[in-house]
Amino acid sequence: MSGRAVRCASSILILALGLAAGSARAQVVIEGTVTLPKPSFDRGLNQRYSTTSDVAMAPTNPPAAVVYLEGDFRPKPTDVPKSPAQVAQKNIAFAPDLLPVLVGTAVEFPNMDDTYHNVFSYSKTKRFDLGRYRKDEKSTTVVFDKPGAVTIHCEIHERMRGTILVLETPHFQKTDTAGRYRLEHLPAGNYVLKAWVAGDDIRQRPVELKTGMTLHVDFPAR
Amino acid sequence: MRRNSAIFVRLFRWPAPILALILTSCVIARADSIEKIHDALSVSDPQNRFNLQFSGLVDLEGYFIDQPTAALIFSERNFLFNPRLTLFVDAQIGTKIYVFAQTRVDRGFDPSDDGAQIRLDEYFVRYSPAKTVNVQIGQFATVVGNWVSRHDSWQNPFINAPLPYENLTGLWDTGAPDDADDVLEWGHVGEYDNGDYSDKYARIPIIWGPSYASGIAVSGSVGRFDYAAEMKNAALASRPDSWSITQTGFEYPTFNSRVGFRPNEMWNVGFSTSAGPYLVSEAAPSLPVGRNIGDYREFVLAQDLAFAWHHVQLWAEFFETRFQVPRIGNADVFSYYFEAKYKITPQLFGALRWNQQIFGTIRDEDERTKWGNDIWRIDAALGYRFTDYLQGKVQYSFSHQGSSPEAGHLVGVQLTVKF
Repeated sequence: MSGRAVRCASSILILALGLAAGSARAQVVIEGTVTLPKPSFDRGLNQRYSTTSDVAMAPTNPPAAVVYLEGDFRPKPTDVPKSPAQVAQKNIAFAPDLLPVLVGTAVEFPNMDDTYHNVFSYSKTKRFDLGRYRKDEKSTTVVFDKPGAVTIHCEIHERMRGTILVLETPHFQKTDTAGRYRLEHLPAGNYVLKAWVAGDDIRQRPVELKTGMTLHVDFPAR
Repeated sequence: MRRNSAIFVRLFRWPAPILALILTSCVIARADSIEKIHDALSVSDPQNRFNLQFSGLVDLEGYFIDQPTAALIFSERNFLFNPRLTLFVDAQIGTKIYVFAQTRVDRGFDPSDDGAQIRLDEYFVRYSPAKTVNVQIGQFATVVGNWVSRHDSWQNPFINAPLPYENLTGLWDTGAPDDADDVLEWGHVGEYDNGDYSDKYARIPIIWGPSYASGIAVSGSVGRFDYAAEMKNAALASRPDSWSITQTGFEYPTFNSRVGFRPNEMWNVGFSTSAGPYLVSEAAPSLPVGRNIGDYREFVLAQDLAFAWHHVQLWAEFFETRFQVPRIGNADVFSYYFEAKYKITPQLFGALRWNQQIFGTIRDEDERTKWGNDIWRIDAALGYRFTDYLQGKVQYSFSHQGSSPEAGHLVGVQLTVKF
C-alpha cells in the first residue's frame, strides 16, 4: 500500500470517528418516571361447575406503562421486526400482559400451559379469535395493522386479560415495574410525549427536543 | 279514530318497552362502562386472602311459539317476552373455601306468563382440603352430564335446553296413575290426546334443566380422571318447587354420580348414574296400599361426550331412563342429542343440535303400548358477540312428535348483557 493510500484511509477513519462522536453528542434522550397504579392480585376464584379447585392466588404481572413519542413518524417497512413478537399464556395469565408494538408487527400467542387456551379480541383496532389450541400446537400469528389498544382475553379463563398497544411511532418503551423509562435516539423537533397506563388513563405532555439534550419528564398519577 | 288509537296502543304496549329495554341494554353494555362496573363490583383484601365478586346477566328473551307450547315454556300466547336478571356472588376465602350464590328475577324458573318473581336458585359452600377433593353443600346444579357447565345464557349457544332437559313425559310427580290409560292420557299419546294441555305443569321430564336440588357433593380430579358424587333431596326429574330444602327433606334421597375421563385437551367423556324417588309427598295418598313414594324411583344411566378443537366444539349426551310407575311397572325412555358450535368469525357463531326422545312400552291390558310420543327436534342458532359484554342470539327449532301431522315451530331471540 502506498503512503498516499495510507494517509487517505487514515483521514477517512478519523472523519468517521469524528462523525460518530458528534452523533453521540447530538443524541436526544427523554427519561423519567410514570407513577403506576398499585399492583393488583389475581382475583382467583373457583370455577362454579368444575371438579378441580386449582385457584391461582399469585400476583398478576406487575403494573407497567408504555411511554411513546407521538409525531408525524411514518414507520418504514424496515422498522417492523421481521420475527414476530410473543404474548405467551403461562400459568393462566398472559406473559407479558402489556406489549407495545409498531404498526404492522406480527404477534404470536404460544400456549405454555398444560390446558387449552382460546385467545380473542373484540377491540375495534383488531378483532380476532384464535380458537382453542394446546401447548404443542403452533398458534396463528396475528398482524396488528392499525394503531390503538387491543384488549385480549381467553375465552376459557375469564380472568385472563392483556393489552397489545399498537403504535405508529418507532419511539416507544415499556417502563420497568417502578415506572422508569428512557427513550433514546430521538429526533429533534416538537412532539407530544404520551404515557399509556391503562384503558383511558393516557397521560401526555408536549415536548420540544433539541439536538444533544436529555429531557426529564415525569408522569404523576392523575 | 278512537278505535284506531286503541289498536295502536295495544299494538305498541309491549314492543315499546321491549325496544326501550333493548336500547338501554345496548347503551349500558358499552365495553368500557361494563368493565368499570365489573371492577367496582369486585372486592379483595390486599393480602388476597379474600375475594368477592358480584356479577350478573341481563337477558331479554322473546319466544314466538306454536300452541300448545313445546317443552318447558308455559304460555297460552304465541309470543312470550321473558326478561331475566341473574345476579351471581362468587367469594373465595383463601384457597380452600369457595362460596357461590345465584339469584334470579324473572317470570318463573321456566319461561311463563306469570308475573315477576325473585328466587335464590343456587347457593353452596365448597371446601377443598386437597387438590383432589372438594366437598360441597347447599342447593346446586347436578353433577350428571355435561350440559350444566354451559347452561347460562352467556355460555349456552342456544336459548333453550337440549331435549332430555325439557321434554315432558306423561308422568306426574304429584299423583300415581290408576292404570295405563292414565299414563297414556297424561302423555297425550295418540287417541288419548284430548287436546287439553292444562295438565302440562303436572308432568315431568327426564331431567329438569340443571336440577338445582339441595344436598351434598364430593368431587375432584385425579390425573386425567374427574369424579363427582352427590346426595340430593330430589330426583333429576323433580320440578324446581321440590329443590329447596324447605320443601323437600332427605327422607327419600337421590344419589347421582359422574366419572369423567380426559384423554387429552380435546376430548372429555363421562358416565353418569342417578337413582332416586321422583314422586312428591302429595302423591302418597294415590299410591297402592302399603307403598310409599320411596318405592318408586327414577334410574338414569347417562353418557356424555365433549370435543373442542380450534373453532369447533361438539357435545353429545345419551340418557337411558327408567321410571318405576305405581300399578304400571317400569316405563323406559331413551333420549339423546348431538350439539355443534362453530365460530364463523371472531364475533359470529353458529350452532346446530339434533335431539331425539324415544319411549318404551308399558302393558295396557293385553298388549304393550308406547307410553309417550316419540319426538325429534332440530335446533339451529346464530349468535353474535357485539362486545365482551353484549351478546345476541336467534334460534329456530322444528320438532315433530309422534304420529301428529302438525310440526312444532319455535323462534327465539335473546339479548344478553353480562356484567
